[in-house]
Amino acid sequence: MKFKDQFQFVRQNMKKNKVRVFMTMLATAIGCAFLIVLASVGFGLHDSLIQDTMQDRAVTEIQVHGKEVDGAYQTLQDEDIEYFESISGVKAVTRNKQLQQSPVFSIDDDYQLQTMAMTTDFPSELKAGLELSKGKLPEKDNEIIVGHDFASNLAESNISDEELYNDENQVKEEYQYDGKLLGKEIEMKVIQIEDNEEKTHTIPLTITGITEAPNREWFQDQNVYISESVLEEVEQFTGTSRGMVSTPGQEDMSSGQQQEDYYDQVTIYAKNIEVVQEISDLLESKDYASYSVVSEMEQINMMFTIVKAGLIIVGTIAVLIASIGIYNTMTMAVTERAPDIGIMKAIGAKPKTIKRIFVLESSMIGLAGAVIGTAIAYIVSMAVNFALPLILESVFQEELPPELRFSMIPWTLVLIAVGICLIVTVLSGLRPAKRATQIDVLKAMRREV
Amino acid sequence: MITVKNLHHHFELGKKGEKSTLSVLRDITFQVKEKEIVAIKGRSGSGKSTLLHLISGFIRPVQGEIWIDGTKVTDLNETDFAAFRLQHVGFIFQNFQLIPSMTAHQNVELPLILDGTPQEKRKTIVGETLRKVGLENHGEHYPSELSGGQQQRVSIARALVLNPPLILADEPTGSLDSETEEHLLELIQQLNKEMGITFLIITHDDQVAHIGNRTIEIADGLLVEGGVTHEI
Repeated sequence: MKFKDQFQFVRQNMKKNKVRVFMTMLATAIGCAFLIVLASVGFGLHDSLIQDTMQDRAVTEIQVHGKEVDGAYQTLQDEDIEYFESISGVKAVTRNKQLQQSPVFSIDDDYQLQTMAMTTDFPSELKAGLELSKGKLPEKDNEIIVGHDFASNLAESNISDEELYNDENQVKEEYQYDGKLLGKEIEMKVIQIEDNEEKTHTIPLTITGITEAPNREWFQDQNVYISESVLEEVEQFTGTSRGMVSTPGQEDMSSGQQQEDYYDQVTIYAKNIEVVQEISDLLESKDYASYSVVSEMEQINMMFTIVKAGLIIVGTIAVLIASIGIYNTMTMAVTERAPDIGIMKAIGAKPKTIKRIFVLESSMIGLAGAVIGTAIAYIVSMAVNFALPLILESVFQEELPPELRFSMIPWTLVLIAVGICLIVTVLSGLRPAKRATQIDVLKAMRREV
Repeated sequence: MITVKNLHHHFELGKKGEKSTLSVLRDITFQVKEKEIVAIKGRSGSGKSTLLHLISGFIRPVQGEIWIDGTKVTDLNETDFAAFRLQHVGFIFQNFQLIPSMTAHQNVELPLILDGTPQEKRKTIVGETLRKVGLENHGEHYPSELSGGQQQRVSIARALVLNPPLILADEPTGSLDSETEEHLLELIQQLNKEMGITFLIITHDDQVAHIGNRTIEIADGLLVEGGVTHEI
């Protein structure tokens, strides 16, 4: 008997008991929808967390904090940078030297901001993907670029702090600098204490560029990126490494480090996410202390895999309950159709054919239930994603992160759910199908079954 | 066509521990030649239906051999016997045994479906077979919409549709009036002559037995061999 004929045969049989078959399908659909929706919470939260992690730091980024030598961590120097750049799969190595005091930057004598300043290697930053929102990269020693939020924090100097900041601790708009920054001359004032007296040194600089806005709304970049020669000028003035302000008795401590040129922050950018782990492993083998988001993601993935598996198992219980309905429906179908089965066996139907027809019928109920269940699950998932944030925001009066998704149904989850539904329904149809093959021809034809 | 050798059969009766056996057939041996119509006659409870069920493979004999068309069917397993039945044996039952939810056309088509005949061929074959039994205009009728004689004709068409060399008939006229019975017996004789089909008919009716070339009589499980009533 050909599959197409078996399918036709099953369809005809199912039509005879439309209501019963539909109710069984509905039970399976609800079980399947429950499984998918339940597991979709795991998938949704996992995805939200991954997106959140990936927004914080680029996924191809590896931060290197130092090198372990004889149990102590050493700072990173030029030879380390050269080694990093030689590793295959590395796209760029960015490095910063941070000023050890926060200089005051003032413009037109009326606006000022005390913020961090650091040197950076612009060619490597460009390779790593640095983009300016305005202007161009510095070409001369006294040229600088500023962070995206530098201007919004540059405030009038003669206003008290209580008056200057709003409730969100940001500079009120009326006190913000509203002029042009590009090409503007700005003064950088650094200090040093000598004989308990504060001495100041002012360096005139020109702004040539402004960086792109950071990925996260709540993250502010108000740093100032200076050249190596400006850093040297500051170091000459303070007489300390990185312009550190001396406190009595500390002058000699910094002099040792002054001779060595080291980097405060070194970041390796891999060519693609696949090689990040490889590079991290290599760095670890060379005793470098490094951190990449991939290692964090591995832990997140591991945890959520367990959570998702747990949710799928719980959801499968609902499908198992639905399978009792299928077992019941199929048993009734076998009993009702016993005379027909008897006739078919009498004229030459093989037991295997009879079994296949009933297994096909339970599979079709399972498959139809899974398809309807998947559609229901998608509707429920969309409703949850739409309504739950509104409910939570109105109850807790707190805005939820925009990337947060409570429920997500990837195609893999649909495949898993449909697969589970099919396996469970085929298994629940097997016993009634076997019973059908064991029907006695003579008893069935005498209507004694 | 059919050879039955030293066939014995009994049924087990009673519950566990108190079982007894009821012997229904004892040492049955006979032959049916190709293109013969053989009637097996006997009183109710004589074992004639059991003999037909054994030949059909619906039950297995306790002892003895059955050969059909050169195959020792008593050695076949359930699956192989089913396949053998489909190809070699057609059945006509007393109560027609049509599937009530299927039309006459679909009932006749069933053996073709089981055999895996392509759909486009099936329509032609079923139409042709229904025409042979005079029901070409009743293909779309359900069994409940047909008379007893018409239902038995559908049953004959279903038995014929795969052109088996042998048809086993169990009281084929048992549910029919005498006029319809006469028409049906004429049809059986016609099919035997035109298509060369061998018929083994179980009956208690002398009129049915009369159309056979030979009658085999069974009494209390023992065979009383009859003579040839018509030349082949």
